[in-house]
Amino acid sequence: MLSRVMTTKSRPTTPLNGSSRPPPYASRQSVYASRNRNLLMYSSAVIVFAVGVTYAAVPLYRMFCAATGFAGTPNVGTGRFEPTRLVPVEGARRIKVHFNADRAEALPWTFTPQQKFVTVLPGETSLAFYKAKNESPRDIIGIATYNVTPDRIAPYFSKVECFCFEEQKLLAGEEVDMPLLFFIDKDILDDPACRGIDDVVLSYTFFRARRNAQGHLEPDASDKDVQKSLGFGDYEMAPRAEIRNAQPGKSP
Amino acid sequence: MSFGRPLSINVGFKTSPPDRGSFPLDHDGECKEQMMQYVDCLRKNSSTSTSCRVMSKQYLECRMTKGLMEHDEWKNLGLANISESTWTSASS
Repeated sequence: MLSRVMTTKSRPTTPLNGSSRPPPYASRQSVYASRNRNLLMYSSAVIVFAVGVTYAAVPLYRMFCAATGFAGTPNVGTGRFEPTRLVPVEGARRIKVHFNADRAEALPWTFTPQQKFVTVLPGETSLAFYKAKNESPRDIIGIATYNVTPDRIAPYFSKVECFCFEEQKLLAGEEVDMPLLFFIDKDILDDPACRGIDDVVLSYTFFRARRNAQGHLEPDASDKDVQKSLGFGDYEMAPRAEIRNAQPGKSP
Repeated sequence: MSFGRPLSINVGFKTSPPDRGSFPLDHDGECKEQMMQYVDCLRKNSSTSTSCRVMSKQYLECRMTKGLMEHDEWKNLGLANISESTWTSASS
């Protein structure tokens, strides 16, 4: 019986000489325990960080898009129309803005600019007028697109208020004056690519309007004509999603 | 916009909407007089916009009073430092 008692395994006790070194068996366990705890802490920190980043990604992407205008995000509210930008730069060279007016053949309106051109200073807001007359015996809704050439002035050409992109209903036989308030941003003076620009052509095209599948008004003309009026006539465009997804034989 | 979407790559022209949207149509020609004054002024001054800024301010003021345009401060429209005293010299 004594021999059995003496051979039972038991945890080694602290050594009698009083040294503070933990016994080897306990230290291996505690080392593993502390390593596991470390690993757990790091993993949970990474998980929490990743979840936080996914939540923050949406507003961060929006801020990035607004700042850089990536993928055609409009530059609104980014200081382009601050009162300080709308002050003319005295003594700078004048830029001549020519006005052009076009209309689709399907639209029985006469659409002409009231002035052939205006010479403006950078930063100066100027008013311009177009005149439109509905020659037909019916009320017609029109919608206008615009285009500025040369292309490199486009980021600097800003319109404060105009008559484009929204429906304009003209009663039968009605003639109306359409104003347009625009300015050329003064940063054009700092852009070396725009150094030689003295003439700018602003071209408006009026189309008849129709409602698309979403109920929004859009030009009643082929995509090709609309893109040409916007200055994209030389670019090859992929067919729109509505047309791509339409079944063959079903009209878009 | 539901039409005329720009290309997703930055190629030159970006069709951007105007800051304040669209002017309501002046169906009754309420501000036609100011408009004709402005166009005449442009014709007389070889289409220089600086000389006719008072006229454009008057036109926009007409629009605001007749309810054809939202009221806004002149500095937001870039017409802050135009005084009426220069009107008589510009209209000659």
